[in-house]
Amino acid sequence: MDICYKFSKESFLDFFKLMQSFGQVHAPVRVSEQSFSFRPVEKPEQIAFEALRTILPPKKMFFPQRETLISYSGKEVKDHTPEPLAQVLFGVHPCDLAGLGIMDNIFSAGPPDSHYLARRQATLVVGLSCMPDKHCFCNSMGTDFPHSAYDIFLTDIGEDYYLQIATTLGEKLFDPKPDFIKTIDDQDNQSYKDFWTNRDKAFTSNFKSDNLKQIFDLEKDNPVWEELGKRCLSCGNCTPVCPTCYCFDVIDVASLDGNSGSREREWDSCQFTGFAKVSGDFNFRPGPVDRLKFWYRHKLHGFDDSYGLKTCVGCGRCTVSCPADIDDIVGVVLRLQASQNESKKDESA
Amino acid sequence: MKALNSGFVPIKGTLRSIVPMAQDNYLFQISVEDGSLSGCQPGQFIMLWIPGVGEAAISVCSGQVDGTLELCVRKVGRVTSALFQLEEGSFVGLRGPFGHGFPLDEYKGKDLCLIAGGLGVAPIRSLWQYVLAHRENYGKIILIYGMRHSIDLLFRQELRVLLRRHDIDVYIAAEEIVGPDLPPVPEQLGRVTDMIKLAPIDQNFQVAVCGPPVMYQYVIEELLAKNVRQSDIWLSLERHMKCGMGKCGHCFVGGKFACQEGPVFSLLELNLLPEVIECHRK
Ligand SMILES: Cc1cc2nc3c(=O)[nH]c(=O)nc-3n(C[C@H](O)[C@H](O)[C@H](O)COP(=O)(O)OP(=O)(O)OC[C@H]3O[C@@H](n4cnc5c(N)ncnc54)[C@H](O)[C@@H]3O)c2cc1C
Ligand code: SF4
Ligand code: SF4
Ligand code: FES
Repeated sequence: MDICYKFSKESFLDFFKLMQSFGQVHAPVRVSEQSFSFRPVEKPEQIAFEALRTILPPKKMFFPQRETLISYSGKEVKDHTPEPLAQVLFGVHPCDLAGLGIMDNIFSAGPPDSHYLARRQATLVVGLSCMPDKHCFCNSMGTDFPHSAYDIFLTDIGEDYYLQIATTLGEKLFDPKPDFIKTIDDQDNQSYKDFWTNRDKAFTSNFKSDNLKQIFDLEKDNPVWEELGKRCLSCGNCTPVCPTCYCFDVIDVASLDGNSGSREREWDSCQFTGFAKVSGDFNFRPGPVDRLKFWYRHKLHGFDDSYGLKTCVGCGRCTVSCPADIDDIVGVVLRLQASQNESKKDESA
Repeated sequence: MKALNSGFVPIKGTLRSIVPMAQDNYLFQISVEDGSLSGCQPGQFIMLWIPGVGEAAISVCSGQVDGTLELCVRKVGRVTSALFQLEEGSFVGLRGPFGHGFPLDEYKGKDLCLIAGGLGVAPIRSLWQYVLAHRENYGKIILIYGMRHSIDLLFRQELRVLLRRHDIDVYIAAEEIVGPDLPPVPEQLGRVTDMIKLAPIDQNFQVAVCGPPVMYQYVIEELLAKNVRQSDIWLSLERHMKCGMGKCGHCFVGGKFACQEGPVFSLLELNLLPEVIECHRK
């Protein structure tokens, strides 16, 4: 059970200073009329509290678009695992928290990824409640409520923020308890409950997700795939924006002396033609249809993979960033489900 | 304080010997400073790093790995070409071993059929060396090795020795005889599938397969026709691997990371997604 308090929105500056005492605060900042980005902030006025989805999800904080893994000079190799640097990631919504949880899973399983974990473990994550827009469908994916991956979570209950503390890291921040932190009463608990109940009603897009595995298996040859594949530009826009896309490439960068250099990793995309190519020019996913199906399957079917995860958290980022209007996940799922219902009707007729 | 070291730091290897084999294939012997590769199993692979160029996944090619490791490499692209430029005494980086190799425990007490196509002979060689070194643990052993041109034959001398043994049944064939003849085997001309038809394989066999991606579909059909069970057909799959640690996503096959859970899978495990076996030249 989380430890719960509240604080008045008027004392947000105190809360902000407390976060700053932990480390550099990163929060959503408005970068254009329509878009937001997680950036370092120095004062609360810089924070875009209204931000729903940032252009890039918070994964970039721990798994940057490009980073040095190792460097070498002659036979000497240097490990570039970063020194842990205490920082705060503020304003993470439930879908993105679920996304972080999935990334945490991937990067800590098997041989753990020191580069990701060094940054992740030194970061205090502060979640923030939100109200959905027409592209949000976290309610369908079961990621609409904060379950894990946060240290602290704030729910907007009107005049106050309802404060949940979930981890030791979070608990330490409030020890000793600062004056602006207040105890909660029954009324506050009711307001908290009301907020989440009302929010639940605010979703416009939603579909049933308990039969996704079945739908994806049975509708693997549905004409929708050809249709979407024909339109896909293989631009790979859909993957960097996804909070759970983790694929990367590793490249050597040699310096001019030929004796030193580094190995760098860069985000990669399964939507690029060469992603599944092997020697002899064989390609396991040669066409956009193969690649699109693969991506949808990874996101919504869960593949029965080693982690057993459906990796879509319903943030809607791919939907808004696809130039060809293909990544309308809700629309595609509804179509596949409709085809299933049709087939069922045919059989009973 | 750092809690972990990067899994991308290689161990240092030194090229001890470089032996040209057929065509663009060389056998490299590499020694490593610490004993960290001594546990390599047939079917596992390492990531070989040429500084400034990149890494490539290469199968363990020797049945026993102590201080030195043998790798049989074909020159196909950037990393392998750079490797071919190096001289004895050169430094290379190695990471691994990665993945699950052939299921040696599962094979115990059973009849075995090892099937190699082309360069797929590299991991299959480590397997025959291993099972022959522990010969008493296995029933009948059949080796089938096919290639496009007879000139591509690898491990010619070693195969001549195997052909003289009575405890392993060796089938070798090429689709075309170009250059020197094959060692004296009954059928020299044909495909891997033709040899599977000839060989006395039945439902009691455990089968290990490694070859070019296009070969699998046909080999599987032939083996199933011989009543070999799906769970007894073990395929080593090739993907363009970038990390070996279940992170980069490049080796994803039907929801599994081939670098960790594979590269050897039973046919049954692969639950036959289209892209697992089928591939196209593009
Ligand atoms: C488990 C495993 C074991 C293996 N064992 C061996 C072995 O024992 N011996 C051996 O010789 N090989 C082995 N291989 C194959 C070897 O890893 C590949 O051939 C590897 O690609 C060679 O690296 P390279 O840099 O020389 O070739 P590359 O330069 O990577 O070129 C190889 C092929 O990759 C494709 N390619 C390269 N770059 C790109 C790109 N940017 N976009 C799209 N496609 C691209 C091309 O189709 C090209 O034909 C193994 C592979 C695996 C997965
Ligand atoms: S698949 Fe699309 S909606 Fe789902 S988590 Fe990724 S970006 Fe968000
Ligand atoms: S689905 Fe859309 S965003 Fe993704 S690669 Fe195709 S066109 Fe680009
Ligand atoms: S090689 Fe990177 S996930 Fe398997």
